[in-house]
Amino acid sequence: MPSVGILGAAAPVYAFFLVSYGFSPIATDVGYQPEQPVPYSHRIHVGQLGIDCRYCHNTVEVAAKAAIPPTQTCMNCHTQVYKESINLTALFDSYATGMPVKWKRVHDLPDYAYFNHSAHVNRGVSCVECHGRVDKMEEIKQEKPLNMGWCLDCHRKPQGRVRDPLTVTDLGWRFEDDSAAKAQFKTFEDYSEFWLKHNNISPSQDCSTCHR
Amino acid sequence: MIKVVIFIVTVVITVAMIPLALAATARSMSTKKPRIHFVQDMDNQPKFRAQHSNDLFLDGRAMRPPVAGTVARGNLKEDSHYNLGVVNDAWATTFPAQVRVDMDLLQRGRARFNIYCTPCHGYAGYGDGMVNKRAQEILENSDPAVVKGSTWVQPKSLHEQLISEQPIGQLFNTITNGVRTMSGYAAQIPLADRWAIVAYVKALQKSQDANLNDLPADQRRDLPTIKLFKEPN
Repeated sequence: MPSVGILGAAAPVYAFFLVSYGFSPIATDVGYQPEQPVPYSHRIHVGQLGIDCRYCHNTVEVAAKAAIPPTQTCMNCHTQVYKESINLTALFDSYATGMPVKWKRVHDLPDYAYFNHSAHVNRGVSCVECHGRVDKMEEIKQEKPLNMGWCLDCHRKPQGRVRDPLTVTDLGWRFEDDSAAKAQFKTFEDYSEFWLKHNNISPSQDCSTCHR
Repeated sequence: MIKVVIFIVTVVITVAMIPLALAATARSMSTKKPRIHFVQDMDNQPKFRAQHSNDLFLDGRAMRPPVAGTVARGNLKEDSHYNLGVVNDAWATTFPAQVRVDMDLLQRGRARFNIYCTPCHGYAGYGDGMVNKRAQEILENSDPAVVKGSTWVQPKSLHEQLISEQPIGQLFNTITNGVRTMSGYAAQIPLADRWAIVAYVKALQKSQDANLNDLPADQRRDLPTIKLFKEPN
């Protein structure tokens, strides 16, 4: 029965491949795009209208959390625009009753990981590194795996990911298109290296940096 | 016998393909369902962090809003000049002592203005921001299914005389509490940043209403050499 033998030998290889392929966070976590109570479009608000990320997520530079905006922030404009839109019913209900809109959380780290937004954006890690091209998303979708190995990739080699902190919310920014940066530096890696030195950044890989 | 073996092997291989196909689907498609969570560890702990929900309270907020009529320690806001822009029951005409007007403040003000004010007022402050453009566009449409009950009042140009003559304190109050259709931004913009924006708006107004004599003599000479727009190649 040589075929049974071959099957028996293939089984562990198969199991290993299946687990690493099918249980990877790319399979289990990436692509999560829940239906939100209000079909808010980042593509229109950020991509078309050019509203800065910080207009709504205004705590991102000073706090661990990039806060989901309160209903009032939406109502800065929507007390006038689309006053009768059925898509905004949940928003108007919230405004009238004072109950929060029940937004579904898309990017969710384990509760034992203490990620700090301000520590990253103030050092020139753009929103796009972890959240992708939000300005092109109709509805928010998780694009990056957000697992520990993925965090460490960047902590070990931040070159080519860190940039001028003033441009972090410019999601479409590319080194290749930045003529001022290109005039001084050959590659994005060199450019990053400059900002790493300039802002005295050396990403920590200690356990206690994220797990406390 | 050999046929049976071949049959079994074929079935096993075929069945073994199914999980692989499912994994391939999971990797390539987006899903509205909550993510698959094989190993729970302590990923979801029974504790409350910022903006988590808590069913114990009627409104579901884990973060409790302050009780009405209470003031947190250190938040009394006694200084009416700094906190309200009011001095002796009139709008302040000077910056409060806590605010040092220098280049850093103006730069900060510009950055904050560009985040919070430009959507409506535009980068140069003429009331022609992108939100204004979009709102006008919606209103030009005669189809009620597009307009969806929208109304719009064009944001003020900050260079109108009525506004450029306003005392500093009144400008600060407008940012803080809003005026007409504009909402107050006290919750979105911290106090110190609101003063920075006031300083920048004053500079912006001056920039749009300047004449040659406002420049120091040595810079006046350089003026003809300054190119405002990049000429096409």
